[in-house]
Parts: sequence; C-alpha cells; structure tokens
Amino acid sequence: MAASLGRLLHSSGNLLRNGARLKCQPLHTAARALCSNTSGGLTTIRPKDEVMKNQLTVFGEYVAECLPKYVQTVQVTAQNELEVLIAPEGVVPVLSFLKDHHNAQFGSLADIACVDIPTKPYRFELVYILMSLTYNSRIRVRTYTDEITPVESCYSVFKAADWYEREAWDMYGVYFSNHPDLRRILTDYGFEGHPFRKDFPLSGYVEIRYDNELKRIVQEPVELAQEFRKFDISSTWETFPAHRQGSKPLMDTQGRGHEAPPEETPAEEKK
Amino acid sequence: MAVAKDPHLALRVLYTKTLAALEKLPKDAAYRQHTEGIINDRFDLVKTVPNVAELEQKINCGQIEQVIIQAEAELSLARKMADWKAWEPLVSEAPEGQWKWP
Repeated sequence: MAASLGRLLHSSGNLLRNGARLKCQPLHTAARALCSNTSGGLTTIRPKDEVMKNQLTVFGEYVAECLPKYVQTVQVTAQNELEVLIAPEGVVPVLSFLKDHHNAQFGSLADIACVDIPTKPYRFELVYILMSLTYNSRIRVRTYTDEITPVESCYSVFKAADWYEREAWDMYGVYFSNHPDLRRILTDYGFEGHPFRKDFPLSGYVEIRYDNELKRIVQEPVELAQEFRKFDISSTWETFPAHRQGSKPLMDTQGRGHEAPPEETPAEEKK
Repeated sequence: MAVAKDPHLALRVLYTKTLAALEKLPKDAAYRQHTEGIINDRFDLVKTVPNVAELEQKINCGQIEQVIIQAEAELSLARKMADWKAWEPLVSEAPEGQWKWP
C-alpha cells in the first residue's frame, strides 16, 4: 500500500491535491441546490464531501508514514479537517516537514492555540494551525504538555510563532525553550498568574484603583459587590450522545443521576 | 521576486544536492522513497524540457521561481531529516486518556 501510495503521489507531485481544487465548484452548486429546498430536502445541512475526506485521509496516512517517530494518531473530523496528533518532542521536525516538503507546503502558520483541560495527565494541549496556499488546505497539529515541561519553540520554522508562543506563555504558562524573547504580551506589567487557565477565576485576584493619598494606582484584592453565585446549569437533554460510556449514568432535570436500567435476563423474568 | 537567470541550472544543482542528501537516509524510509520519486520526476522534466514556460506547465506547481524555492526547502528538509531520524518507530506514546474527547 505504501509503494502504491508513493507512486500515486509522486507521479505528478500534486495529483493528490488537484482534485481538491477542482472540487470547489461542484460543492457550491450542490449546496445551492440543497438550499433552494425545491423538493423539501434538508436546507442547512452541509453536503457530505466523501472525496475531500478520502483525500485528507490519504494525506494524513502519508504524513504518518513519513514521520513514524513523532506522529501518534491522525484523524479527520466530520467537517473535513485533518488533525495530526504528535509527541511533544516532534514539534519542530513535523512542522518543518509540513512547511518544506513538496507534497505538503504548509507555508503559513495561522495560529497556535492552547487548550487547558485540568483533568488530563498533561493538562495543556497545543494546537498549531497551518495553511497551504499552493494546495488550498489547512491542517492541525496537536501536542500536549503540562505546567513545567517545556516545548521546543518553532520560531526557527515559522517566524509568526514568536508572538503566538508569547501569548501561550502569558495566558497559560506553557514554556517554550529556545524562544528568542518569551515574556508577557497581553497582561498588565506586574500581573501575576496565567489568566486563561481553568483554575484562574473570572474576576481575577486583584483589582486596581487610584488612591488619592498615595497619588498613584494601587492593587488590592478584588471585592465583588455580590458574592459569586454558581448556578447548576445542567441541560435536560443528554449532551454528546455519540460519546456515551457504558457505565455512565444519565442525568435527570435536577442533576441527580440515575442508575442505568438493569439488564433484563429472560430467566429471571420468568421466575 | 526577481526572475531566475538560469532556472535549469539552478534546479539541476538543487536536485542533485537533494538526492545526495537523501542517500544518507535508510533505503526503506518512506520519506526517502516518496521524495526521491518526486525529485526524479521533476529532474527528468528539467533535463528534457528546455523551454521555461513549457517546463512550468509540465511541473504544474506555479512559476519556475516558486519551483526553485520549493527545491531549496526540500533540500534543507532532507538534510535535517538525517539528524532527526524521523523513520524510527514512535519515540513516546501519549499517556492514557490524553487524546480522549470529550
């Protein structure tokens, strides 16, 4: 399969992507036809593009094949978005590959996002979003880290990473090694803490006011006029029905859990 | 971007250097096989097609100056790949539940 894939991809260098560019036109007409609702079909559902999905899957497998040392998984989302999940040691190699290789050419770093999920073993998830102008496609590269493990900076690959990584450091506390100038970028000069973390409160810890006696701004612990009210906003409907775990109980409107209905065995019933 | 003075020569030099850099990778590395295929195809086109406009058409990847930039990028990548040894098996697995969503 690998050999045939190679032949397919390097026969013209961009046989893989030509179809993607051509596909743009039929997609518009198909969407317009659906939106007109002539025959009472679904109007606002995006038509499933199997061709695009197949192309993305093929390219994802190609990337995984070329970089087996770092790529842990590759997935294509329902919206036809390719995601490459890598080990944190491989940030610079994978991004260099995606930028320089002929079949990839993702020359533009659109964003470096960070996701904080405190329950996970490595709580921060770094998301690099790359764009290819020659092939008109996007790709996401995801890694993980925690508060103390540094990640290699990709400033050597993409100069745009300079400020994106400064933002990730300032807001989350993700440390980047070999970064030219890692300092705060959005928070105030003496600000302590990393605001976008899930354990940082919405109001913050300090508030500032102008003190007439001292004739300058002072920072004092924040005082809210009303004490913080937490509402238990649990929806009446089950969220994420596709990700239901077998033993997980379903909730009712008051947020009380029900046990899963006991499995009925015919033998016991008859008794 | 300045017009390339002698694109055929530039591409010939870059492609030979890239193929030499790829020789350092193991023969069964997927990256080496795919890249050698691409480079050899383009190299053949560069050797057989003397006219620049026709060469651009045949390669079908933008202007010849862009093709030269791509070749330079691939050369630097091939050299770095030898250091990283990216063909080895996975260096570290994700911990349990790291990629679970939601």
